[in-house]
Amino acid sequence: MPRLLRSLWLTLILALLYMPILSVVLASLANTRYMRFPHRTWSVGAYTDTFSQQETLTLHLVSLKVALCVTLFSVILGALGAMAFARYDWRGRSIYQKAVVLPIFFPQPVLGLALLMFYSALGIPPSWKTAIFAHMVWILPIVTLVISIRLFGYDPAQEDAARDLGASRWQVLREVTLPHLAPGLISGGLFAFLLSWSNLPLSIFTTGADTTLPEWLFSRVATNYAPVVSAIAVIGTFASVILGVLVLLGLRLSRARAG
Amino acid sequence: MSPGRTGYLFALPVALFLLAGFATPIGIVAWYSLMEPRTFALTAETTLTNYRAAFTEGYGPPFFWSITGAVATTLACALLAWPTAKMLHQLAGRGAAVLTGLIAVPIFVSESVRLFGMSLFLMPGGGILAGSLRALFDVNIGTVLNTKLGVFLGMVYVHFPFMLFPLLLGVALIPQDRRDAARDLGASRWQILREVELPLAMPGLIIGALLTFVLCVGANAEAAILGGQAISVVTRAIEQRFSYAQDWPMGAALTMLVVAVTALVVFPALARIDLNKLIRR
Amino acid sequence: MIAADLSMTQDSRPVLGQAALSLQGLSRSFGSLQALSSVSLDIEEGEFFTIVGPSGSGKTTLLRILAGLDQPTEGQLLLRGRDITRLAPNKRPTAMVFQSLALFDHRTVGENVGFALKMRGIAKAKRDARARELLELVRLGAEYFDKPVTQCSGGERQRVALARVLASEPEILFFDEPLSALDYRLRKTLEVELRALQKRTGRTFVYITHSLEEAMVMSDRIGIMRDGQLVQVGSPAEIYGRPDSRFVASFMGEVNILKVAEGRLPELDLPLPGTPDGYVVLRPEALRLEEGTETGAPGFAARVAEVFRLGSRVQLHLESPAGLMIAELPAETQIRPGATARVSFAPEAAHWVAE
Repeated sequence: MPRLLRSLWLTLILALLYMPILSVVLASLANTRYMRFPHRTWSVGAYTDTFSQQETLTLHLVSLKVALCVTLFSVILGALGAMAFARYDWRGRSIYQKAVVLPIFFPQPVLGLALLMFYSALGIPPSWKTAIFAHMVWILPIVTLVISIRLFGYDPAQEDAARDLGASRWQVLREVTLPHLAPGLISGGLFAFLLSWSNLPLSIFTTGADTTLPEWLFSRVATNYAPVVSAIAVIGTFASVILGVLVLLGLRLSRARAG
Repeated sequence: MSPGRTGYLFALPVALFLLAGFATPIGIVAWYSLMEPRTFALTAETTLTNYRAAFTEGYGPPFFWSITGAVATTLACALLAWPTAKMLHQLAGRGAAVLTGLIAVPIFVSESVRLFGMSLFLMPGGGILAGSLRALFDVNIGTVLNTKLGVFLGMVYVHFPFMLFPLLLGVALIPQDRRDAARDLGASRWQILREVELPLAMPGLIIGALLTFVLCVGANAEAAILGGQAISVVTRAIEQRFSYAQDWPMGAALTMLVVAVTALVVFPALARIDLNKLIRR
Repeated sequence: MIAADLSMTQDSRPVLGQAALSLQGLSRSFGSLQALSSVSLDIEEGEFFTIVGPSGSGKTTLLRILAGLDQPTEGQLLLRGRDITRLAPNKRPTAMVFQSLALFDHRTVGENVGFALKMRGIAKAKRDARARELLELVRLGAEYFDKPVTQCSGGERQRVALARVLASEPEILFFDEPLSALDYRLRKTLEVELRALQKRTGRTFVYITHSLEEAMVMSDRIGIMRDGQLVQVGSPAEIYGRPDSRFVASFMGEVNILKVAEGRLPELDLPLPGTPDGYVVLRPEALRLEEGTETGAPGFAARVAEVFRLGSRVQLHLESPAGLMIAELPAETQIRPGATARVSFAPEAAHWVAE
């Protein structure tokens, strides 16, 4: 009986989590101007329309540029930051650890606004480039944490052993430290990409004239139920779901190797 | 090079970045909030006019709704996530990993998409739920869209995973033998929860609650997409100061008040947690 | 006196001639794995009973069933004649010291000890007083009361765990190898103390361990487990002197086991008249050695491969026609590796077992 209850509960939770996403998919499969479910005729017209529009490409390109840059910079900085977070024991580490996680516990729209004023005070016009910086303020701490989790399972004596066996500092890094860190870097990178790709609250205030995918969707959904909006949402989401599955496989892989 | 020195050097890039990207902007907002209303320059003359206005000119309701909403959402998420986390923890092996993965995926789907989906689902008349019910059972239902309840459901929906995952870490901190020992010593199910499980899982619960609360205090997409005109949240009020009213100092003062509320909750809670212990698992 | 102030509940008063705990055909399977098969046993009132077995023999499964943390797939468990097979652990007048001790690290020593009383809704002042008493009883002293458990040493944690189970005033105490993680000397001290505590309180103790040595020191009776079955039950002297299988004999330590067929030991080519087919167990100290190979009493020739001086005695590894054999001689014996010797033993020292 408890087993049955457990299955029921978990199924219910999953159903509720996926119902809205499924709703977007269902809504996209129509060619009517207004939402009337169940559709009288089912159609993939919205998708062909979407692919023929220049705007679709532009939106995805802006989101992609931002997400790729955020990923690259966050992984590099995050790897260094994680070494200080988990690898070395130094005076001030516990303060550093708490300072690093602080931006995660900060309301994102408020952070976006603060950054907007910051750019304005410095005289920098907001664009997709400033959005990269803004995303990183929230995402870099997360990436640092993800890489740190990997580093906590690391015995630094391995480095001493390698040195003892005649490896140079550079060889130690290449042969011992980086291979151990690699799964953490990969999952950290995927986290960075996905969180940047789907971010709405920071983008709204910091992209200026450029528009990312979530921003565009946000501006349309309140006013317009055209199937094209659903179709673009499905395409953007599908890309991120595939990456989401990859991130979890990557994590499992790294855990399997650690274990 | 001593490990202490090396650690310090490794910490430097991230520390400098956060100083520039996190501390400085908040400092600038703080400074803006002390400027004369409706000015755009940062001068040396400061005033508390904006803060006075914040307490007297009807900004109470947005603050009230944001904080009430955040508390209610945090509680609801905790109540839903606790049994879920325990069940996921009990499930061993491949099934649990796949299930946990499936629950994690929506985190990486944009808020705007998920909330859009929710509004499509809840729409009256031709919405997914209402339309299906009418077509299948010939039942006509109303909608919670554009009501406070709708916003609340959206908040719970969006933030549930943020509560669940820290809680999973927390639940993993409860060794089964402590539960067995408590039961053996005469504790009832409820006593085990209160005396053993909750205290041991506390770090995860605190992190989850903090994350949920803070994200909810700043949330405005839920109210915008699901709430219609039903509710005004504080982030929306701040945004309006910046855009329509062109009153940056006022917006900055309201922002600082949100920062203060956040800090009041985050700092004491974070001080109680040993991050190393939680992450090392 | 602790025995006097541990009150007993009305319905479970000891009855003369009735077992404190009666195990009747207890079985437990996990899927296709039979962890426990039909274990039957009566544990007497006030007895220190130890279950010994190698890891995987089912002893922990058995103890968890006795404590109510697991349920048997078949069989019954009676406490003073009352069926408690399906009774929840928090409803049983028994308490267990876990292998990991399972102390509540988020609580102080005093709160750990008073836990069971708190669960029964006993007022704080009363349970604190009781906890202090118990801390004295386990020789920790009341000054440990406010100490966090995390700051206690291994031995102190043992004593806290012991005080914690005593607080619930259990009729029967279970122990799941609680001493296995301690160093040798501390373990020896605690073994003696535990035995003394059991004598003083007059409670029934059921202890499991994989160390027969530990069992010998403390127990009134020992049960040996193998592959989910209880293979021999008896006093320490009985188990040591008259093991009823090769398994039990080898579990007792290093012994020589030889095959018997048609009244002979075929491996050594020695007669052993009147002995049925099976095996004989020869303790190392039962072997006698004479240097050289000249024939005397019936025996066999062997070469001394290794000599280990163990303080009070000398252990020899012998290369015999039956393979490696072990002999133990008094410490003053002078013999070198490489020597050849004639080995003999008194026929009555050979203990026969069927399998």
